[in-house]
Amino acid sequence: MLISSKKKIIIKVLLIFFIIFNLLPIKSLAIVSPTAEFYVNDYANLLSEETKEYIINTNVSLHNQTGAQIVVVTVENLEGNSLEDYATELFRSFGIGDKSKNNGVLLLLALEEREFRVEVGYGLEGILPDGKTGRIQDEYIIPYLKENNWNDGIKNGFSAILNIVAEEYGVEVNAQAAIAGESKNDFGSYLGIFVIFYFLSDMIGAGMYKVNKKWKIFAIILFGIVAEFLIFVVLKNIFSSTMMTLLCLIIFTISCFSNRRTRGGWYGHGGSSGGFSGGGFSGGGGSSGGGGSSRSF
Amino acid sequence: MKKSSIILIVVVVVIVAIAGLLISGYNGMVSKKEAVDSSLGNLNVMLQRRADLVPNLVNTVKGYTSHEDEVIDKITDARAKLVGASNLEEKSEANNELTNSLNALMVVVENYPDLKSSANFTQLSDELAGTENRIAVARKDYNDAVRTLNTSIKRFPTNILAGMFGFDEAEYFEADEGSQEVPSVNFE
Repeated sequence: MLISSKKKIIIKVLLIFFIIFNLLPIKSLAIVSPTAEFYVNDYANLLSEETKEYIINTNVSLHNQTGAQIVVVTVENLEGNSLEDYATELFRSFGIGDKSKNNGVLLLLALEEREFRVEVGYGLEGILPDGKTGRIQDEYIIPYLKENNWNDGIKNGFSAILNIVAEEYGVEVNAQAAIAGESKNDFGSYLGIFVIFYFLSDMIGAGMYKVNKKWKIFAIILFGIVAEFLIFVVLKNIFSSTMMTLLCLIIFTISCFSNRRTRGGWYGHGGSSGGFSGGGFSGGGGSSGGGGSSRSF
Repeated sequence: MKKSSIILIVVVVVIVAIAGLLISGYNGMVSKKEAVDSSLGNLNVMLQRRADLVPNLVNTVKGYTSHEDEVIDKITDARAKLVGASNLEEKSEANNELTNSLNALMVVVENYPDLKSSANFTQLSDELAGTENRIAVARKDYNDAVRTLNTSIKRFPTNILAGMFGFDEAEYFEADEGSQEVPSVNFE
Protein backbone atom coordinates (compact mmCIF):
# COMPACT_ATOMS: atom_id res chain seq x y z
CA MET A 1 0.00 0.00 0.00
CA LEU A 2 0.97 3.60 -0.24
CA ILE A 3 3.01 5.09 2.53
CA SER A 4 5.27 7.87 1.44
CA SER A 5 8.82 7.93 2.68
CA LYS A 6 8.10 11.20 4.48
CA LYS A 7 5.41 9.54 6.52
CA LYS A 8 7.65 6.64 7.31
CA ILE A 9 10.18 9.08 8.70
CA ILE A 10 7.51 10.79 10.78
CA ILE A 11 6.39 7.46 12.20
CA LYS A 12 9.97 6.54 12.99
CA VAL A 13 10.69 9.85 14.69
CA LEU A 14 7.53 9.56 16.78
CA LEU A 15 8.32 6.02 17.81
CA ILE A 16 11.86 6.95 18.78
CA PHE A 17 10.61 9.84 20.91
CA PHE A 18 7.96 7.60 22.41
CA ILE A 19 10.52 4.98 23.39
CA ILE A 20 13.00 7.51 24.77
CA PHE A 21 10.43 9.27 26.90
CA ASN A 22 9.13 6.02 28.28
CA LEU A 23 12.58 4.82 29.23
CA LEU A 24 13.67 8.08 30.86
CA PRO A 25 12.24 7.66 34.36
CA ILE A 26 14.77 5.30 35.88
CA LYS A 27 13.57 3.29 38.81
CA SER A 28 15.34 4.16 42.05
CA LEU A 29 15.35 0.54 43.22
CA ALA A 30 16.08 -2.50 41.15
CA ILE A 31 12.92 -4.48 41.72
CA VAL A 32 11.37 -7.34 39.83
CA SER A 33 8.63 -6.62 37.31
CA PRO A 34 5.29 -8.40 37.37
CA THR A 35 4.85 -11.61 35.41
CA ALA A 36 1.87 -12.18 33.13
CA GLU A 37 0.25 -14.06 35.98
CA PHE A 38 0.58 -10.91 38.13
CA TYR A 39 -1.06 -12.38 41.23
CA VAL A 40 1.78 -14.88 41.71
CA ASN A 41 5.33 -13.91 40.90
CA ASP A 42 7.40 -16.83 42.07
CA TYR A 43 10.88 -15.60 41.23
CA ALA A 44 12.46 -17.83 43.86
CA ASN A 45 10.73 -20.96 42.49
CA LEU A 46 9.21 -22.06 45.77
CA LEU A 47 5.55 -22.59 44.96
CA SER A 48 3.72 -25.52 43.43
CA GLU A 49 1.40 -25.20 40.44
CA GLU A 50 -1.52 -25.99 42.73
CA THR A 51 -0.73 -23.10 45.06
CA LYS A 52 -0.28 -20.72 42.15
CA GLU A 53 -3.55 -21.77 40.57
CA TYR A 54 -5.37 -21.33 43.85
CA ILE A 55 -3.97 -17.82 44.32
CA ILE A 56 -4.75 -16.76 40.76
CA ASN A 57 -8.26 -18.18 40.66
CA THR A 58 -9.35 -16.76 44.01
CA ASN A 59 -7.85 -13.42 43.07
CA VAL A 60 -9.82 -13.29 39.82
CA SER A 61 -13.01 -13.86 41.75
CA LEU A 62 -12.07 -11.31 44.41
CA HIS A 63 -10.97 -8.71 41.91
CA ASN A 64 -14.10 -9.04 39.77
CA GLN A 65 -16.31 -8.45 42.80
CA THR A 66 -14.36 -5.87 44.76
CA GLY A 67 -11.37 -4.57 42.78
CA ALA A 68 -9.12 -5.79 45.59
CA GLN A 69 -5.95 -7.71 44.76
CA ILE A 70 -3.74 -9.88 46.97
CA VAL A 71 -0.42 -10.41 45.25
CA VAL A 72 2.24 -12.94 46.25
CA VAL A 73 5.86 -12.31 45.31
CA THR A 74 8.86 -14.47 46.17
CA VAL A 75 12.36 -13.25 45.35
CA GLU A 76 15.79 -14.83 45.67
CA ASN A 77 17.13 -11.77 47.46
CA LEU A 78 16.47 -8.07 47.97
CA GLU A 79 19.61 -6.92 46.15
CA GLY A 80 20.81 -5.05 49.20
CA ASN A 81 17.60 -3.11 49.84
CA SER A 82 15.69 -3.19 53.07
CA LEU A 83 12.60 -5.37 53.06
CA GLU A 84 10.34 -2.41 53.73
CA ASP A 85 11.75 -0.22 50.95
CA TYR A 86 11.61 -3.08 48.52
CA ALA A 87 8.02 -3.97 49.42
CA THR A 88 6.70 -0.41 49.12
CA GLU A 89 8.50 0.17 45.82
CA LEU A 90 7.23 -3.11 44.45
CA PHE A 91 3.70 -2.46 45.68
CA ARG A 92 3.58 0.89 43.94
CA SER A 93 5.22 -0.19 40.71
CA PHE A 94 2.88 -3.18 40.43
CA GLY A 95 -0.05 -0.93 41.30
CA ILE A 96 -1.71 -3.51 43.52
CA GLY A 97 -5.39 -2.95 44.17
CA ASP A 98 -7.88 -0.52 42.71
CA LYS A 99 -6.52 2.93 41.94
CA SER A 100 -9.15 4.86 43.91
CA LYS A 101 -9.81 2.28 46.63
CA ASN A 102 -6.13 1.34 47.14
CA ASN A 103 -7.32 -2.04 48.32
CA GLY A 104 -4.27 -4.16 47.60
CA VAL A 105 -2.19 -6.48 49.75
CA LEU A 106 1.31 -7.70 49.00
CA LEU A 107 2.87 -10.83 50.46
CA LEU A 108 6.61 -10.66 49.88
CA LEU A 109 9.08 -13.43 50.66
CA ALA A 110 12.83 -12.87 50.42
CA LEU A 111 14.55 -16.25 50.41
CA GLU A 112 18.20 -15.41 51.16
CA GLU A 113 17.37 -12.85 53.83
CA ARG A 114 14.69 -15.21 55.20
CA GLU A 115 12.28 -12.34 55.66
CA PHE A 116 8.59 -12.03 55.03
CA ARG A 117 6.43 -8.94 54.78
CA VAL A 118 2.74 -8.28 54.48
CA GLU A 119 2.26 -4.82 52.98
CA VAL A 120 -1.20 -3.31 53.03
CA GLY A 121 -2.60 -0.62 50.73
CA TYR A 122 -4.09 2.55 52.23
CA GLY A 123 -7.64 1.34 51.66
CA LEU A 124 -7.32 -1.87 53.67
CA GLU A 125 -5.35 -0.50 56.63
CA GLY A 126 -8.61 -0.26 58.56
CA ILE A 127 -9.35 -3.98 58.45
CA LEU A 128 -5.71 -5.08 58.30
CA PRO A 129 -3.86 -2.93 60.83
CA ASP A 130 -0.17 -3.66 61.34
CA GLY A 131 -0.77 -5.58 64.54
CA LYS A 132 -3.21 -7.89 62.79
CA THR A 133 -0.90 -8.58 59.87
CA GLY A 134 1.83 -9.38 62.39
CA ARG A 135 -0.47 -11.81 64.17
CA ILE A 136 -1.49 -13.47 60.90
CA GLN A 137 2.17 -13.98 60.08
CA ASP A 138 2.98 -15.40 63.52
CA GLU A 139 -0.01 -17.70 63.40
CA TYR A 140 -0.37 -18.84 59.80
CA ILE A 141 2.82 -18.14 57.91
CA ILE A 142 6.04 -18.00 59.90
CA PRO A 143 5.74 -21.44 61.62
CA TYR A 144 5.61 -23.09 58.17
CA LEU A 145 8.31 -20.94 56.64
CA LYS A 146 10.66 -21.87 59.49
CA GLU A 147 10.39 -25.47 58.28
CA ASN A 148 10.86 -24.39 54.66
CA ASN A 149 7.27 -25.40 53.98
CA TRP A 150 6.69 -22.56 51.54
CA ASN A 151 3.45 -23.76 49.97
CA ASP A 152 1.51 -24.28 53.18
CA GLY A 153 2.82 -21.09 54.76
CA ILE A 154 1.93 -18.86 51.86
CA LYS A 155 -1.35 -20.60 51.09
CA ASN A 156 -2.43 -20.38 54.73
CA GLY A 157 -1.50 -16.76 55.11
CA PHE A 158 -3.02 -15.87 51.77
CA SER A 159 -6.30 -17.57 52.73
CA ALA A 160 -6.41 -15.83 56.09
CA ILE A 161 -5.97 -12.42 54.48
CA LEU A 162 -8.35 -13.29 51.65
CA ASN A 163 -11.06 -14.23 54.17
CA ILE A 164 -10.66 -10.95 56.05
CA VAL A 165 -10.89 -8.91 52.85
CA ALA A 166 -13.81 -10.92 51.45
CA GLU A 167 -15.66 -10.62 54.76
CA GLU A 168 -15.15 -6.86 54.80
CA TYR A 169 -16.72 -6.52 51.36
CA GLY A 170 -19.39 -9.12 52.13
CA VAL A 171 -18.55 -11.23 49.11
CA GLU A 172 -17.97 -14.92 48.62
CA VAL A 173 -14.80 -15.84 46.83
CA ASN A 174 -14.82 -19.04 44.86
CA ALA A 175 -11.87 -20.23 42.89
CA GLN A 176 -13.20 -19.83 39.40
CA ALA A 177 -11.15 -20.61 36.35
CA ALA A 178 -9.01 -17.71 35.35
CA ILE A 179 -9.83 -16.05 32.08
CA ALA A 180 -6.95 -13.95 30.91
CA GLY A 181 -8.89 -11.20 29.28
CA GLU A 182 -7.93 -7.99 30.96
CA SER A 183 -6.23 -5.57 28.67
CA LYS A 184 -2.89 -4.31 29.78
CA ASN A 185 -1.92 -0.71 29.58
CA ASP A 186 1.28 -1.58 27.83
CA PHE A 187 3.17 -0.69 24.73
CA GLY A 188 0.62 -2.49 22.54
CA SER A 189 -2.31 -0.35 23.59
CA TYR A 190 -0.22 2.81 23.27
CA LEU A 191 0.66 1.80 19.74
CA GLY A 192 -3.04 1.20 19.13
CA ILE A 193 -3.88 4.73 20.22
CA PHE A 194 -1.06 6.05 18.12
CA VAL A 195 -2.37 4.27 15.02
CA ILE A 196 -5.91 5.56 15.65
CA PHE A 197 -4.64 9.11 15.84
CA TYR A 198 -2.54 8.64 12.79
CA PHE A 199 -5.63 7.62 10.85
CA LEU A 200 -7.63 10.43 12.42
CA SER A 201 -5.09 13.02 11.38
CA ASP A 202 -5.18 11.62 7.88
CA MET A 203 -8.95 11.75 7.74
CA ILE A 204 -9.00 15.35 8.89
CA GLY A 205 -6.46 16.22 6.28
CA ALA A 206 -8.34 14.34 3.60
CA GLY A 207 -11.69 15.79 4.66
CA MET A 208 -10.41 19.30 4.18
CA TYR A 209 -9.95 18.73 0.49
CA LYS A 210 -13.55 17.76 0.00
CA VAL A 211 -15.06 20.80 1.69
CA ASN A 212 -16.35 23.63 -0.49
CA LYS A 213 -13.67 26.21 -1.13
CA LYS A 214 -15.62 29.01 0.56
CA TRP A 215 -15.68 27.22 3.85
CA LYS A 216 -12.32 25.63 3.51
CA ILE A 217 -10.30 27.90 5.76
CA PHE A 218 -13.04 28.07 8.37
CA ALA A 219 -13.41 24.30 8.33
CA ILE A 220 -9.68 23.76 8.53
CA ILE A 221 -9.30 26.01 11.55
CA LEU A 222 -12.33 24.54 13.32
CA PHE A 223 -11.30 20.96 12.57
CA GLY A 224 -7.78 21.80 13.47
CA ILE A 225 -8.51 23.34 16.86
CA VAL A 226 -10.96 20.63 17.92
CA ALA A 227 -8.74 17.81 16.72
CA GLU A 228 -5.57 19.32 18.15
CA PHE A 229 -7.27 19.82 21.50
CA LEU A 230 -8.49 16.23 21.64
CA ILE A 231 -5.14 14.90 20.57
CA PHE A 232 -3.40 17.12 23.11
CA VAL A 233 -5.53 15.82 25.98
CA VAL A 234 -4.95 12.19 25.08
CA LEU A 235 -1.26 12.59 24.33
CA LYS A 236 -0.77 14.46 27.60
CA ASN A 237 -2.12 11.44 29.43
CA ILE A 238 0.15 9.11 27.54
CA PHE A 239 3.37 11.08 27.78
CA SER A 240 2.66 13.11 30.92
CA SER A 241 5.14 15.60 29.56
CA THR A 242 3.99 18.86 28.04
CA MET A 243 6.98 19.45 25.80
CA MET A 244 6.75 15.97 24.34
CA THR A 245 3.02 16.36 23.78
CA LEU A 246 3.44 19.62 21.94
CA LEU A 247 6.20 18.19 19.81
CA CYS A 248 4.02 15.25 18.81
CA LEU A 249 1.14 17.61 18.17
CA ILE A 250 3.19 19.70 15.80
CA ILE A 251 4.43 16.62 13.99
CA PHE A 252 0.87 15.38 13.69
CA THR A 253 -0.21 18.73 12.31
CA ILE A 254 2.54 18.73 9.76
CA SER A 255 1.73 15.16 8.79
CA CYS A 256 -1.86 16.27 8.35
CA PHE A 257 -0.97 18.73 5.65
CA SER A 258 2.01 17.14 4.05
CA ASN A 259 1.70 15.15 0.85
CA ARG A 260 -1.65 16.67 0.03
CA ARG A 261 -0.80 18.88 -2.87
CA THR A 262 -0.63 16.08 -5.35
CA ARG A 263 -3.46 13.93 -4.11
CA GLY A 264 -7.17 14.48 -4.32
CA GLY A 265 -8.27 13.08 -1.04
CA TRP A 266 -8.38 10.06 1.16
CA TYR A 267 -6.17 7.22 0.20
CA GLY A 268 -5.69 3.81 1.60
CA HIS A 269 -3.31 2.95 4.35
CA GLY A 270 -1.53 -0.25 4.90
CA GLY A 271 1.16 -1.62 7.05
CA SER A 272 1.31 -1.03 10.73
CA SER A 273 -1.40 -2.25 12.99
CA GLY A 274 -1.23 -1.90 16.73
CA GLY A 275 -2.39 -4.05 19.55
CA PHE A 276 -0.11 -6.83 20.51
CA SER A 277 -1.32 -6.53 24.03
CA GLY A 278 -0.71 -9.90 25.59
CA GLY A 279 -3.22 -11.59 27.86
CA GLY A 280 -2.71 -11.91 31.56
CA PHE A 281 -3.51 -9.73 34.53
CA SER A 282 -2.24 -6.43 35.75
CA GLY A 283 -2.47 -4.10 38.70
CA GLY A 284 -5.28 -1.62 39.13
CA GLY A 285 -2.92 1.21 40.08
CA GLY A 286 -3.30 0.98 43.85
CA SER A 287 -0.74 2.46 46.22
CA SER A 288 0.62 1.81 49.67
CA GLY A 289 1.94 4.12 52.33
CA GLY A 290 4.18 1.52 53.91
CA GLY A 291 1.62 -0.09 56.20
CA GLY A 292 2.01 -3.70 57.23
CA SER A 293 4.49 -5.73 59.20
CA SER A 294 7.72 -7.64 58.70
CA ARG A 295 9.07 -10.88 60.16
CA SER A 296 12.18 -12.94 59.95
CA PHE A 297 11.90 -16.69 59.75
CA MET B 1 -4.18 24.78 -0.82
CA LYS B 2 -3.47 28.49 -0.80
CA LYS B 3 -0.27 29.70 0.75
CA SER B 4 -2.13 32.17 2.98
CA SER B 5 -4.22 29.48 4.61
CA ILE B 6 -1.16 27.41 5.39
CA ILE B 7 0.43 30.41 7.07
CA LEU B 8 -2.79 31.00 8.99
CA ILE B 9 -2.81 27.43 10.23
CA VAL B 10 0.81 27.59 11.29
CA VAL B 11 0.15 30.83 13.20
CA VAL B 12 -2.87 29.33 14.95
CA VAL B 13 -0.94 26.22 15.89
CA VAL B 14 1.97 28.26 17.24
CA ILE B 15 -0.34 30.47 19.31
CA VAL B 16 -2.20 27.45 20.69
CA ALA B 17 1.13 25.80 21.48
CA ILE B 18 2.52 28.82 23.34
CA ALA B 19 -0.72 29.35 25.26
CA GLY B 20 -0.75 25.66 26.08
CA LEU B 21 2.83 25.83 27.36
CA LEU B 22 2.09 28.79 29.61
CA ILE B 23 -1.12 27.36 30.98
CA SER B 24 0.27 23.89 31.56
CA GLY B 25 3.44 25.39 33.04
CA TYR B 26 1.41 27.36 35.59
CA ASN B 27 -0.95 24.46 36.28
CA GLY B 28 2.04 22.19 36.68
CA MET B 29 3.47 24.48 39.37
CA VAL B 30 0.13 24.58 41.15
CA SER B 31 -0.16 20.81 41.24
CA LYS B 32 3.46 20.43 42.33
CA LYS B 33 2.80 22.84 45.22
CA GLU B 34 -0.36 20.93 46.01
CA ALA B 35 1.59 17.65 46.03
CA VAL B 36 4.06 19.13 48.52
CA ASP B 37 1.25 20.31 50.80
CA SER B 38 -0.67 17.06 50.74
CA SER B 39 2.41 14.93 51.31
CA LEU B 40 3.39 17.20 54.20
CA GLY B 41 -0.08 16.70 55.64
CA ASN B 42 0.36 12.97 55.30
CA LEU B 43 3.76 13.11 56.98
CA ASN B 44 2.33 15.10 59.89
CA VAL B 45 -0.49 12.59 60.32
CA MET B 46 2.06 9.78 60.52
CA LEU B 47 4.23 11.67 63.03
CA GLN B 48 1.15 12.32 65.15
CA ARG B 49 0.19 8.67 64.88
CA ARG B 50 3.59 7.69 66.19
CA ALA B 51 3.27 10.12 69.08
CA ASP B 52 -0.16 8.64 69.90
CA LEU B 53 1.19 5.10 70.00
CA VAL B 54 4.03 5.86 72.40
CA PRO B 55 1.97 6.26 75.63
CA ASN B 56 0.35 2.86 75.07
CA LEU B 57 3.73 1.27 74.59
CA VAL B 58 5.17 3.01 77.63
CA ASN B 59 2.28 1.83 79.80
CA THR B 60 2.66 -1.74 78.61
CA VAL B 61 6.38 -1.65 79.29
CA LYS B 62 5.80 -0.16 82.77
CA GLY B 63 3.47 -3.04 83.57
CA TYR B 64 6.25 -5.58 83.07
CA THR B 65 9.36 -3.74 84.20
CA SER B 66 10.82 -1.87 87.10
CA HIS B 67 13.82 0.43 87.41
CA GLU B 68 13.70 1.41 83.77
CA ASP B 69 12.61 4.96 84.46
CA GLU B 70 15.58 6.48 82.69
CA VAL B 71 14.75 4.91 79.33
CA ILE B 72 11.07 5.64 79.70
CA ASP B 73 11.67 9.27 80.69
CA LYS B 74 13.75 9.82 77.57
CA ILE B 75 10.93 8.46 75.43
CA THR B 76 8.35 10.63 77.16
CA ASP B 77 10.53 13.72 76.71
CA ALA B 78 11.12 13.06 73.05
CA ARG B 79 7.44 12.47 72.51
CA ALA B 80 6.56 15.74 74.22
CA LYS B 81 9.05 17.53 71.98
CA LEU B 82 7.55 15.95 68.88
CA VAL B 83 4.04 16.96 69.84
CA GLY B 84 5.17 20.49 70.74
CA ALA B 85 7.33 21.02 67.67
CA SER B 86 6.21 23.98 65.61
CA ASN B 87 8.33 23.75 62.49
CA LEU B 88 9.64 21.05 60.24
CA GLU B 89 13.18 21.16 61.58
CA GLU B 90 12.08 20.76 65.20
CA LYS B 91 9.79 17.94 64.20
CA SER B 92 12.49 16.03 62.41
CA GLU B 93 14.87 16.53 65.35
CA ALA B 94 12.30 15.36 67.89
CA ASN B 95 11.37 12.46 65.67
CA ASN B 96 14.99 11.35 65.47
CA GLU B 97 15.31 11.66 69.24
CA LEU B 98 12.22 9.52 69.68
CA THR B 99 13.67 6.91 67.34
CA ASN B 100 16.87 6.74 69.34
CA SER B 101 15.11 6.46 72.68
CA LEU B 102 12.76 3.78 71.35
CA ASN B 103 15.74 1.83 70.04
CA ALA B 104 17.22 2.02 73.53
CA LEU B 105 13.95 0.65 74.90
CA MET B 106 14.01 -2.28 72.49
CA VAL B 107 17.42 -3.23 73.88
CA VAL B 108 16.09 -3.10 77.44
CA VAL B 109 13.08 -5.22 76.49
CA GLU B 110 15.43 -8.11 75.70
CA ASN B 111 15.79 -8.56 79.46
CA TYR B 112 12.08 -9.15 79.96
CA PRO B 113 10.98 -12.31 78.11
CA ASP B 114 7.45 -12.07 79.50
CA LEU B 115 7.03 -8.59 78.10
CA LYS B 116 8.56 -9.53 74.79
CA SER B 117 6.25 -12.47 74.27
CA SER B 118 3.08 -10.74 75.44
CA ALA B 119 0.41 -10.32 72.76
CA ASN B 120 -0.12 -6.68 73.67
CA PHE B 121 3.52 -5.77 73.28
CA THR B 122 3.78 -7.71 70.02
CA GLN B 123 0.85 -5.81 68.57
CA LEU B 124 2.11 -2.43 69.76
CA SER B 125 5.57 -3.13 68.39
CA ASP B 126 4.03 -4.05 65.03
CA GLU B 127 1.96 -0.88 65.01
CA LEU B 128 4.97 1.20 65.94
CA ALA B 129 7.25 -0.45 63.39
CA GLY B 130 4.51 -0.03 60.78
CA THR B 131 4.12 3.63 61.65
CA GLU B 132 7.86 4.17 61.51
CA ASN B 133 7.90 2.62 58.06
CA ARG B 134 4.97 4.83 57.06
CA ILE B 135 6.93 7.86 58.27
CA ALA B 136 9.88 6.72 56.16
CA VAL B 137 7.63 6.37 53.12
CA ALA B 138 5.82 9.64 53.80
CA ARG B 139 9.16 11.43 54.26
CA LYS B 140 10.44 10.06 50.98
CA ASP B 141 7.22 11.06 49.19
CA TYR B 142 7.38 14.53 50.73
CA ASN B 143 11.03 15.04 49.82
CA ASP B 144 10.35 13.80 46.29
CA ALA B 145 7.51 16.30 45.96
CA VAL B 146 9.71 19.08 47.34
CA ARG B 147 12.48 18.17 44.92
CA THR B 148 10.08 18.28 41.97
CA LEU B 149 8.73 21.67 43.02
CA ASN B 150 12.10 23.19 43.80
CA THR B 151 13.56 21.95 40.54
CA SER B 152 10.83 23.53 38.47
CA ILE B 153 11.16 26.77 40.45
CA LYS B 154 14.83 26.89 39.54
CA ARG B 155 14.62 25.68 35.96
CA PHE B 156 13.88 27.60 32.80
CA PRO B 157 11.23 28.44 31.66
CA THR B 158 9.09 27.67 34.72
CA ASN B 159 11.37 29.85 36.90
CA ILE B 160 9.86 32.89 35.16
CA LEU B 161 6.35 31.74 36.04
CA ALA B 162 7.48 30.97 39.59
CA GLY B 163 8.80 34.53 39.94
CA MET B 164 5.66 36.03 38.46
CA PHE B 165 3.21 34.11 40.62
CA GLY B 166 5.32 33.91 43.78
CA PHE B 167 6.00 30.20 44.16
CA ASP B 168 8.55 29.63 46.94
CA GLU B 169 10.88 26.72 47.42
CA ALA B 170 9.81 24.20 50.02
CA GLU B 171 11.91 22.81 52.86
CA TYR B 172 13.15 19.20 52.97
CA PHE B 173 12.40 16.91 55.87
CA GLU B 174 15.79 15.62 56.93
CA ALA B 175 16.42 12.35 58.67
CA ASP B 176 19.60 11.35 60.40
CA GLU B 177 21.32 8.22 59.18
CA GLY B 178 20.25 6.12 62.15
CA SER B 179 16.55 6.66 61.70
CA GLN B 180 16.67 5.27 58.18
CA GLU B 181 16.70 1.88 59.79
CA VAL B 182 13.22 0.73 60.62
CA PRO B 183 13.47 -1.43 63.73
CA SER B 184 11.97 -4.80 62.90
CA VAL B 185 10.44 -7.08 65.45
CA ASN B 186 12.12 -10.41 65.57
CA PHE B 187 10.51 -13.21 67.55
CA GLU B 188 12.68 -16.23 67.85
